[in-house]
Amino acid sequence: MTTETAGPLEASDSGPTSTGSRTTMILGIVTLFALGVLVLLGLILSPAEENQSDAVRIMYIHVPSATLSYVGCFLTAIGSAVFLWRKSRWWDLVAYASAEVAALFTAFTLVTGMLWGRPTWGVFWVWDARLTSEAMLMLLLLGYLAVRGIAADYEVRAKRAAIVGLLLVPNVFIVRQSVQWWRTLHQTPTLSLSGAEIQGLMLFSLFTGFIAITLAFIWMVIHRFRVAWLEEQVDAEGLDTAIAERRAEGVVS
Amino acid sequence: MLHDAWLIARKDLKLEIRSRVALNQVVPFALLVLVLFAFALDPDRGLLEKATPGLYWIAVLFSGLLAMQRSFAVEAADGVTDALRLSGLAPAGIFLGKTLSVAVQLLVLEVLLGVGVAVLYGTSITGWLLLLATIVVATAAISTAGTLFGVVAAGLRVRETLLPLLLLPVLAPVLIGSTRAFEAALSGTPSEGWPWVGLMSVFAAVYVVAGIFGFGPLMEES
Amino acid sequence: MSNALILAEATGTWPYVAAAWAVVFGGMGAYAFATVARGRRLSKKVPPEKRRWN
Repeated sequence: MTTETAGPLEASDSGPTSTGSRTTMILGIVTLFALGVLVLLGLILSPAEENQSDAVRIMYIHVPSATLSYVGCFLTAIGSAVFLWRKSRWWDLVAYASAEVAALFTAFTLVTGMLWGRPTWGVFWVWDARLTSEAMLMLLLLGYLAVRGIAADYEVRAKRAAIVGLLLVPNVFIVRQSVQWWRTLHQTPTLSLSGAEIQGLMLFSLFTGFIAITLAFIWMVIHRFRVAWLEEQVDAEGLDTAIAERRAEGVVS
Repeated sequence: MLHDAWLIARKDLKLEIRSRVALNQVVPFALLVLVLFAFALDPDRGLLEKATPGLYWIAVLFSGLLAMQRSFAVEAADGVTDALRLSGLAPAGIFLGKTLSVAVQLLVLEVLLGVGVAVLYGTSITGWLLLLATIVVATAAISTAGTLFGVVAAGLRVRETLLPLLLLPVLAPVLIGSTRAFEAALSGTPSEGWPWVGLMSVFAAVYVVAGIFGFGPLMEES
Repeated sequence: MSNALILAEATGTWPYVAAAWAVVFGGMGAYAFATVARGRRLSKKVPPEKRRWN
């Protein structure tokens, strides 16, 4: 998406002192505005639903979070694939950044799903196909992030993480398929508004939710990418300093 | 490539036969798990028999995990990984060979555990064709994924904890599939089990392809 | 649906709605804040020519 702007490119001035830039500043302001509109629409202006009453308001944040958790997962797989193909660090860090943000959104989806389940089904958790595959996605992402966290050389870590990241997508597909077959044997309720059509202000609120949460997702991925980039530089810097020190020692003795 | 695979598999299996670690430690562990399930669930109320498919495959996964940990521990121990890389064997061949040796060990475990559940849990075994097909594809799925993630975790200080974290969520569909297929076979409705065999075949195919292409880059560094 | 309806009437669903929104907005805010803070800390250690964003 718009992560194209995240890469370090031409020099302009003495350099920023944070991960912010003019683009992300504007993006951040737009995001905050959109989130404000979402609060207004989702919590105040939109009507309560017939069956679920006010619980339906959880949908405006739950559904976009779920969608973006999958988007982040795909972005990680794409980043991993391009990294393996072209050995591009840029894409490796895109994979890393989006995996972490995807894990955050997966957590949001699970928590809001449970909070939605309690008033509508009477329990926090049902072994619904969608909830279960989201939980599995969380575990797969945690595995990926665990590989990112290992103490090893950049090359070793990035390559191993890329294999795991690339396999996220087929894994998610197979998990979803298996969980769906597994659950269709036992009819369970799903989080859809059965029968009732989402329309009018509710539809518009959901649409706003998608836009606001997507903007927030992009903003977070860009900033996380830049943090990862800086970490990379600090690691390399540290290594350079250590080598320089060693050389200096060698000269003295 | 296939010749290389055969060489590696033969080397690993010879090593296992000579060291007897699989025989002396992994097999007793697998049987221990079966006994522990009996302690945890009430053996008198037919719970064990009803839950046999699930318990069986959980026991296979956990004891198989030990076998897979070993498959890479023996390589990393004496810098054999470097030797393997220098040997000029095709990475895809190394992957297939490792997978084959893990698969053979899993099959032995599965047969023993099968006898175990039949004897200890009093499960009557029916639907042989589906049972065998399930065992074959599930073993292929577990060993391919296990080998690929085994090498991802190999040589790291955290490998013992990392491999289960990576592998068990990935194998969740295989656990669901093999358990449902076994249930279908044991309850005499094998037609419900075959779609699961298909799903697990797709899984195994994905991991064979991923392993053949992914092993090259992974072997380059470690 | 009737059970759920009764339950919803009895307890009110606003606490759940509020908790869900608080988790998402609080989580996004905390993550954003932590990321920016981390970026600022790291920026000090990196020479300016290596941190240009666009």
